[in-house]
Amino acid sequence: MATLNRTNVTERREVTILAPPSFAPGRVLHDVARLARYADLIYTLSLHRIHVRYKQSFLGLLWAVAQPVCLMAIYTVVFSHVAGMPSEGLPYAIFAYAALLPWIYFSSGLVAATNGIVSNAAFVRKVYFPREILPITYIVAALFDFLIGAIVLAALMWFYGVSVTVTALWALPIMLIAAIFTTGVALVSSATQVWVRDFGIAMPLLLQIWMFASPVVYPLAVVPPAWRGWYVLNPMVGIVENFRRVMLQRQPVDWHSFEISAAIALVLLPLAYMYFKSVDATMADVV
Amino acid sequence: MIDVTVQHIGKKYRIGPEASTEPLGRPRRPWWRRSEEFWAVRDVSFDVRRGEALGIIGANGAGKSTILKLLAGITTPTVGRIVVHGRLAALLEVGAGFHPELTGRENAYLNGSILGMRRREIAAKLPAIVDFAEVSRFLDVPLKYYSSGMYVRLGFSIAAHLDPDILLIDEVLAVGDLSFQRKCLQRIEELKRAGCTIIFISHDLGAVERLCDRAVLMRRGQTAGTGAPAEMIALYQQIIAEAAAEDFTASRERRAAEITYFEFRGSGRDGRTEFRTGEPLMVRMDWAASEDVGDVIFYVYFYTQDNVLCTQLTSEDGPRVDLRQGKGYVEFTCPELTLPPGIYHVDVGVRKREVARGYSLHWLNHCAVLHVLDGTAVRGTFYTPHTWRIVVDDAPTPLEP
Repeated sequence: MATLNRTNVTERREVTILAPPSFAPGRVLHDVARLARYADLIYTLSLHRIHVRYKQSFLGLLWAVAQPVCLMAIYTVVFSHVAGMPSEGLPYAIFAYAALLPWIYFSSGLVAATNGIVSNAAFVRKVYFPREILPITYIVAALFDFLIGAIVLAALMWFYGVSVTVTALWALPIMLIAAIFTTGVALVSSATQVWVRDFGIAMPLLLQIWMFASPVVYPLAVVPPAWRGWYVLNPMVGIVENFRRVMLQRQPVDWHSFEISAAIALVLLPLAYMYFKSVDATMADVV
Repeated sequence: MIDVTVQHIGKKYRIGPEASTEPLGRPRRPWWRRSEEFWAVRDVSFDVRRGEALGIIGANGAGKSTILKLLAGITTPTVGRIVVHGRLAALLEVGAGFHPELTGRENAYLNGSILGMRRREIAAKLPAIVDFAEVSRFLDVPLKYYSSGMYVRLGFSIAAHLDPDILLIDEVLAVGDLSFQRKCLQRIEELKRAGCTIIFISHDLGAVERLCDRAVLMRRGQTAGTGAPAEMIALYQQIIAEAAAEDFTASRERRAAEITYFEFRGSGRDGRTEFRTGEPLMVRMDWAASEDVGDVIFYVYFYTQDNVLCTQLTSEDGPRVDLRQGKGYVEFTCPELTLPPGIYHVDVGVRKREVARGYSLHWLNHCAVLHVLDGTAVRGTFYTPHTWRIVVDDAPTPLEP
């Protein structure tokens, strides 16, 4: 039987106050500090998401690349061979794949995270922990799929003879902004999903529209200049286009679109977090 | 030193309307009037001192679990506030957050981190957790292959090794076999001796009395009293008995035959409601018939707190009873009470033997309470009256105890 090590009784204890929910923006720092103490749970749960997904499947990790590779094949046939879409001098397959990678990170992470709280209802009702951890772990797990997909990108680049230059390092800040933006949207959608399930139902349709409003299957250059001012307000434009630029075209980021994406992501995240925490308080009563 | 202060907390829920029976049926009320308010807990205040064990008792729906949810931070109060000093661990359900596909070890990490442990801590305590749960051989087996006993043992063991400053436990000991229940109680006592503050919710009043220093009695979302566990348990029984008696007198209307009085008696002539397992028990029921009703059966049902029918006394097997206009009484005699310690709700009634329309003449639902105390040693769900003797071979005569 274990022995108990309870040292000095005069130890300093943290004080928790549980009170009715109120809108207090100052509490955000407090919430973030609390979240930081649960870093181990984020790690364990993210690992668990990845683990559970591939544990009993025969193809295992191959599933992580199945979606981008299949979409790449379909789009190559439809847009390149049938419709004759330009691809800025690159083989269309790799042109599409390099854009699909960050896009699928965003869309699959968002779909999983939106249902993140509802599908863990038993947890939410029975244990306390900062609930934002649930959507966050799905986004971390999506990052794992992204990394597996990136290996395939490297293989494709080798196959098509596209060389990598130092500009590829820009992919890191681009993906950081992508992660921040995805988290921001997921915090809003997962919390709202608890009250109205419409969000989850609308999500696949919304994402389909959103994808065609982003330069995934076509280059930014084909968008008429008159529309472009509005077009780049979509934060995914700056992310997808720039990722492809720095990976395949050996060019530095396009600052205009990247700044817009970064600004929207960085403003959205704290606002989304405040919204999430304000509904977090009564989530267990509803879910 | 106070570890937990609960100040005038209240929790209001909205109850939605009954769903429309047609799949696409139109809601009966406009959306803004579609829910009603319900206070699960109202104006509850109490303190828990450091190192103290506080029991929370009360009937189902009295608000006990809501209080625990509020203390655990799972949901927030509508009014009032709670101040908690120190690390609090809540065990509302054994194995909440277990995943069947993962192994015992992986689940220990998962569940431990959900309860707020760090991976390092879990790694350090894993041997003790596994040892206590008696699952060391199955540590790397997926949880879906565990027996329910192993599942429960692992869940309790993780929570019991958290080393919290304050531990909340809700009815979790109701699961698992007797020896494990005892082991859990031992562990809780150990934690308490080590200075851990404990808040304990249970229907097992015996455990509350043994373990707790103080108890809070909840009734319809409010505190009905705070004090020594024995006093609160007595008050609880009194409240149940009074409510039952109210029902008894309130349900008077004209019937062909009815029960007019009812009491439990011991070997003497005294009416009482507390008995020990193994003690003789007599039940007296007074009846009155305003007309001839023919062949009838008198019965007494005993239910647990969770509304499970345990046993009954009945005149069904006896000779035919032709009840004529008049009055009298029926007496049931049990040489030995076989119910284990606990609180039982009692139904009494009289019905016609022939099951047909209007066969129930008078039925009093939960009209009394029987409190059974520790008596003859009993393990299991009921006591079996028995005698025993020991025989020594080659001895001149058998030894009789």
